[in-house]
Amino acid sequence: MERILDVSDLEPCEPMERTLQAVGDLGEGEYLCLIHRREPHLLYPVLDKMGFAWRTRPGGASQFEIFIWKRIDRAAGSAVALRTD
Amino acid sequence: MNPPSLSLEQAPPIQVPFRFFLTAPLFALLSALLLLGYGPELLVSRWLPVTLAFTHLLTLGFLGLIMCGAMLQMLPVLAGSPVPAVSGVSMLVHLLLSIGTLAMGVGFISGTGVLLKAAVILLGMGFAVFAGALVVALLRVKLPNPTVTGMRLALGALVATVALGVILGSNLVWPIGLSRPLLFTDIHLLWGVLGWVGLLVIGVAFQVVPMFQMTPDYPQWMSRFLVRVLFLGLCGWTLFLLVDPGGAVVEVIGKLWSLALLVGYGLFALTTLQLQRRRKRRLPDVTLLFWRTGMLSVLVCLALWVAAGVFPLWARSSTYPLLLGAGLLIGFAFSVVNGMLYKIVPFLSWYHLQHRKVTLLGGAGTRVPNMKEFLPDHLARRQLRGHLATLFLLGPAILWPALFARPAGLAFALSCVLLMYNLLQAGARYRSASRALTKEIQANV
Repeated sequence: MERILDVSDLEPCEPMERTLQAVGDLGEGEYLCLIHRREPHLLYPVLDKMGFAWRTRPGGASQFEIFIWKRIDRAAGSAVALRTD
Repeated sequence: MNPPSLSLEQAPPIQVPFRFFLTAPLFALLSALLLLGYGPELLVSRWLPVTLAFTHLLTLGFLGLIMCGAMLQMLPVLAGSPVPAVSGVSMLVHLLLSIGTLAMGVGFISGTGVLLKAAVILLGMGFAVFAGALVVALLRVKLPNPTVTGMRLALGALVATVALGVILGSNLVWPIGLSRPLLFTDIHLLWGVLGWVGLLVIGVAFQVVPMFQMTPDYPQWMSRFLVRVLFLGLCGWTLFLLVDPGGAVVEVIGKLWSLALLVGYGLFALTTLQLQRRRKRRLPDVTLLFWRTGMLSVLVCLALWVAAGVFPLWARSSTYPLLLGAGLLIGFAFSVVNGMLYKIVPFLSWYHLQHRKVTLLGGAGTRVPNMKEFLPDHLARRQLRGHLATLFLLGPAILWPALFARPAGLAFALSCVLLMYNLLQAGARYRSASRALTKEIQANV
């Protein structure tokens, strides 16, 4: 199941704070679709440390969509693959 | 899955940039105290020893230290290229530059040759260590982005500025018979202000203005070409000044060349103001106001420069270079650097703690204070008022020194004290949050 979080209007450091809170709430089979106005390079190493995987693609209106799921959650990983391939 | 493209593990410990950021305002305060103490005397001519002390405390002590600290911090994060032995390098560079700047300030005021000699050696060594370490890191970058290009060319400008500074300083204390020292001083200024400061600010702006001020990106042609064109323009202007072939036509060509170059800086200022107007979130932001002040100062300086071309008699007065210098150094450079400190210091504090918490506690535990908690808006806004008061008093102070020099010095000193207080408070809040996190980590082990 997809959860959507739009942080494109927020100032640093709110996007990362809200994202970390949202990924912490992800359940089995769920992934987060994060909408960001810039590619969040500093978020990636933090996600990596927390055991999350991600896939980034440029979204509409020059924004980025970042799909984030628990690395051990195969169902969520497959759902992201279906959504983004 | 995308590999991590940035890693704070590559970045230096937070003490590396903080050492520079938290001590630099002290030098600005010293320069402000000189203006307060000497008053009108300091504004008679740019060549007076006390005026030279004022300028160098500001440029080397405040701007230089902060820009060195920012480069040591940003290069690994933005370009993924760590500076070799960064802790040792930063400690040594900070020590050499701080003592060298103090020696230069006191040396100029007291006329003590031995202090000026020490300053030339210490500053030359400090910048040589800094540039050497940065060259290694910058050459390792495989895919340079516009900010890295800006840093590379700004570093080239710094080397030119320091080399000329060392030559001019040496000529002062060990007369080496340098011909045309005034010309070399102008070239030293050109590369210091328009090269080192200007190119670095532009290069860094491409990254930090959209990120922190919520603006759209700079146009691609600007981020790709502007810094390179300006650098080449500076090289051309320098050659022109050195060769000085003479003749009316050549003089016109020279004027047009320098005008085109300055229009490039004006274009950057206008674009930044335009981007700020188109920002997504229209909430008041102190950094944005500092940057707006800086960009407007660039445009005022450009107008001054054009006015000097139209009124050559006025251009030869002592007022014009002082107005231009104050506009560029305090109106533009100080405003922009001051504004950035209000984003970089709280952001680094927050990110270092957040990263440590995630690494050691897996994201669980107490919330890390956010940026505004490290440096509350009302404190930054109070200092902005002091800074604006300084700028509004500086113009009249140069025109009517007897009346306004000391009030301008007082406003500047107050602004510097508030800046120091704000940054030290942010540093203290970081230390306190860091201690609380350490306790939490120990309790979870």
